[in-house]
Amino acid sequence: MISTTVIIIGGGATGSGVLRDLSMRGIPAIMLEQGGLAYGTSSRFHGLLHSGARYAVNDNESAKECIEENMILRKIGKHCVELTEGFFVQTPEDDKEFAPKWLEGCKTAGIKTEEISLEEAFKLEPNLSRDISKVYRVPDSCIDGFRLVWQNAMSARRYGGELYTYHKVVEIITESGKVKGVKALNKVTNEIVEFGCDYIVNASGSWAGEMVALSGLAPLPISPDRGTLVVFNHRFTSRVINRLHKSSDGDIFVPHGSVTILGTTSAEADTPDDKTPTSQEVKRLLDIGRVVFPHVDDYRILRAFAGTRPLYGAKGAGRSASRNFNIVNHSEEGLAGFVSIFGGKLTTYRLMAEKVSDVVANMAGVTAKCRTAEEPIIPDVSEHTLSKAKKYFPKGAVNIVADRIGADFDKVLDNIEKSNEKNELVCECEMVTLSEIKYVAQDDASYYLNDIRLRTRLGMGTCQGTFCSLRAIAALENENIEMKLKPSDNIKNFLQERWNGLRPALWGGQLREAELTRAIYLSTLNFDGEGYEA
Amino acid sequence: MSSEHINPDKCIACTICQVHCPVAKVTPNFLGPRLIGPAYERFRLLDVTEEESLHYCANCKNCDIACPQGVAISTLNMVARCEYTEKNGGKLRDWVLSHGGFLADLFKYIPTWLKNFGMHNPVTRLLLDAIGISKKAPIPKFDKHFRLIYKKLKQPKLDKKIVYFPGCYVDDYDYSIGLDMIWIFNQAGYEVIVPKQFVCCGLPLVSNGFMKDAAKNAAKNVSVIKEYQEKGIPVVTGCPSCALMFKKDVPEMFPDVVYDSYKGGVMDAQEFLMGCVERGELNFAGKNSTKSIIYHSPCHLRAQGIGLPSIDLIEKLTGSKIQNAQAGCCGISGSYGFKKEKYQIGLDVGKELFDTIKNSNCEIVTTECGTCQTQIKHGTGQKAYHPVTVIRKLVENK
Ligand SMILES: Cc1cc2nc3c(=O)[nH]c(=O)nc-3n(C[C@H](O)[C@H](O)[C@H](O)COP(=O)(O)OP(=O)(O)OC[C@H]3O[C@@H](n4cnc5c(N)ncnc54)[C@H](O)[C@@H]3O)c2cc1C
Ligand code: SF4
Ligand code: SF4
Repeated sequence: MISTTVIIIGGGATGSGVLRDLSMRGIPAIMLEQGGLAYGTSSRFHGLLHSGARYAVNDNESAKECIEENMILRKIGKHCVELTEGFFVQTPEDDKEFAPKWLEGCKTAGIKTEEISLEEAFKLEPNLSRDISKVYRVPDSCIDGFRLVWQNAMSARRYGGELYTYHKVVEIITESGKVKGVKALNKVTNEIVEFGCDYIVNASGSWAGEMVALSGLAPLPISPDRGTLVVFNHRFTSRVINRLHKSSDGDIFVPHGSVTILGTTSAEADTPDDKTPTSQEVKRLLDIGRVVFPHVDDYRILRAFAGTRPLYGAKGAGRSASRNFNIVNHSEEGLAGFVSIFGGKLTTYRLMAEKVSDVVANMAGVTAKCRTAEEPIIPDVSEHTLSKAKKYFPKGAVNIVADRIGADFDKVLDNIEKSNEKNELVCECEMVTLSEIKYVAQDDASYYLNDIRLRTRLGMGTCQGTFCSLRAIAALENENIEMKLKPSDNIKNFLQERWNGLRPALWGGQLREAELTRAIYLSTLNFDGEGYEA
Repeated sequence: MSSEHINPDKCIACTICQVHCPVAKVTPNFLGPRLIGPAYERFRLLDVTEEESLHYCANCKNCDIACPQGVAISTLNMVARCEYTEKNGGKLRDWVLSHGGFLADLFKYIPTWLKNFGMHNPVTRLLLDAIGISKKAPIPKFDKHFRLIYKKLKQPKLDKKIVYFPGCYVDDYDYSIGLDMIWIFNQAGYEVIVPKQFVCCGLPLVSNGFMKDAAKNAAKNVSVIKEYQEKGIPVVTGCPSCALMFKKDVPEMFPDVVYDSYKGGVMDAQEFLMGCVERGELNFAGKNSTKSIIYHSPCHLRAQGIGLPSIDLIEKLTGSKIQNAQAGCCGISGSYGFKKEKYQIGLDVGKELFDTIKNSNCEIVTTECGTCQTQIKHGTGQKAYHPVTVIRKLVENK
């Protein structure tokens, strides 16, 4: 049995935030995640670091939280945040009465707004519809969810925190009204692993209700609500573009690294795992999006994906349910040491982690204060490292890689220098080089090619894995770096995951791409053919 | 993000273009068309540091020819290069090399010998070398200005008219090609008009990063083309690069300049002449030359997708059989091969062509493009002639 003080269930933004917060306070903690890191909603969201302006009218409390956390994350999460700013645009379809209410709400919440001339707006964002009649600037930004989770986890590790991925909690062990530990299924070996602890933080997002039920307590009224998002192949806006109206479906475009994401929908889901979007949803999003970007049909869709939100309250409340987060201390219901945290937004993950860690620290009698609002998640990469990296990386990739792997950049460079190898580009669409892949593959939390994808963006660009998956696997084999699946299954697993997201929007350019993939893997390489062996 | 960006979405990452890029084949300094074009474009929109590699694209357009998805790869590269030049300022060397038409126009009344003495004496060459023009490069010698000669030229009065866009090479370095062109059109019954308002087609400007200057030239030229097209007079050029510029680059890069009935704007002169042959307007009865001739098709001709009309034209009009070299790019790409850091790349790219020509032991080498002719001379020692010049030579037994 592995023993610790706190077990955190869920390796999303919230869970990894809690792991880091507790570790920084010196409280021993282990985080368990059923999939790879950020397997849940934290990798299936829109990527918007909210300014809060979206909630200014309906939920001013949320708006306030957002702007405060937004400002904090800009400082501590530099490598995950891209400072893009955002626009709120009024289209002919939007109620003109909304703007004054919205401005008032932003003012109350402390969100800076500035009206800018249409001429300037169109100069900055030339692809915007010329039917737009008003444009306001707000401090929206973009945030990379994968990276945020990873960097929190890496930082937590430096403070002694531990994490186990592919460990699904299947039982909560209690004894006389107090938690004692959990049993988790190691999904790779199929073994049950027992963990002992004094406290459990249930940070399992949309699964939080299930987890409470597992403990034997009365189920929480949490219902998963599914949101679909569409990813475009290139960045046709450099800013977050919101509609100046009452929050609704399909009204936000977010530039995210090399791609643009449009979303989202809101529909009741049967289970938290319900993450397959439909073509109808994609088409509906395009219909709505066309009002803001009239040429949206000319932009190639890479894929569509969906995530679920844990909505607290009566089933079917949808968009009107509160997005504020909830902390439930189950001691009050008779199970001491068990705390659930859910809801909120990725933008407020740090605050959520702080509040729940306060509860745990209080129970454990630890007085150390939260420091996550001041200390950067990962230290900056030095100028020296950056300039050294120019020798081995494509010029444009240096800063991108620095943001992706942070302080480990030095180790990656060391490895290149030692091995004296040419640092080939493995993934050309997202500029991922051999050294980065090798380095990430050797991390304890990297089991499958998919884990490497999440950390490096391998296979997330134009070709959706067609070329880079094969190259990456070949390179890893070459270096004798073992993964949990044999190479051919690893690629299949990887391509299958990509394919799931391609299917709902399989037309135009991406259909051509998929045909090329099919030709290479199913025809030339005979990946699913008879007599296939490898 | 600026509006001139070209949507990179059509690329399916098949890498076919990478295999067909002559530059990527010979130097590791160039990452290749897919990477520098559509793949990197996605990052340009993110404002990342530009790749040094971008400056190694020769704008030869072999990638465009090869791409099965119709991605405007070379245009992506050129737009990016121009944006880079606008932001960071251009090199003096690149300005000089690309504004040849402008400079030559400025100096056109200076006697040719003096210009050449000025340009080609060892001291000047060292100076040019210092700014990045290789002292080994075969910079062509100035010739009498074609359009000055044209002004004094007496043509027979003919009913049919045709407008001839000479291009800088004919204008500044080899007026004889222009005269041969007038000769053959007269033979076909066309009087040749060479408007004095025509300026450089702009391709060298684009290739060297000066998009705004190229836009000005495009606007000037297109207004002249329009004037004659409206009168029903066709416009032709004997230079494949000028033709390609008008057909492909102008509409792609400066869509505002073209008008509805513009179509290609300018036609390949050899293709037009083949039409004359087919209509029975042009033939030299009884010609049956036995000379051995090898033909090199310039990349910019192949990129037009009109076949190889010069082969048919020479064969039909002179009776000779042509050997098609089919040996890829000559490596010069306009002024690319003159540049110090690219001079050797140019020779390496052209090696296959040079070897093919040398091994063919043909008596005559022919190609439409002026700078291809220069590079072939440099790489093989053998002078290459424009197809129309070859026809005239054989017909007049010169
Ligand atoms: C479509 C959509 C768009 C969104 N867009 C934005 C946005 O633009 N900006 C923003 O700020 N917020 C956004 N959100 C909200 C935000 O994504 C979520 O609030 C946030 O990601 C939740 O993080 P979490 O860690 O609480 O949950 P999750 O990321 O879901 O993490 C919970 C984890 O628990 C794991 N788990 C579950 N059961 C078990 C078990 N038995 N054992 C072990 N592990 C288990 C899951 O695998 C999962 O990884 C969006 C949400 C949706 C649905
Ligand atoms: S234009 Fe020529 S040199 Fe440039 S990328 Fe294309 S093939 Fe290569
Ligand atoms: S040939 Fe065309 S589609 Fe294929 S990689 Fe090159 S640009 Fe992309």
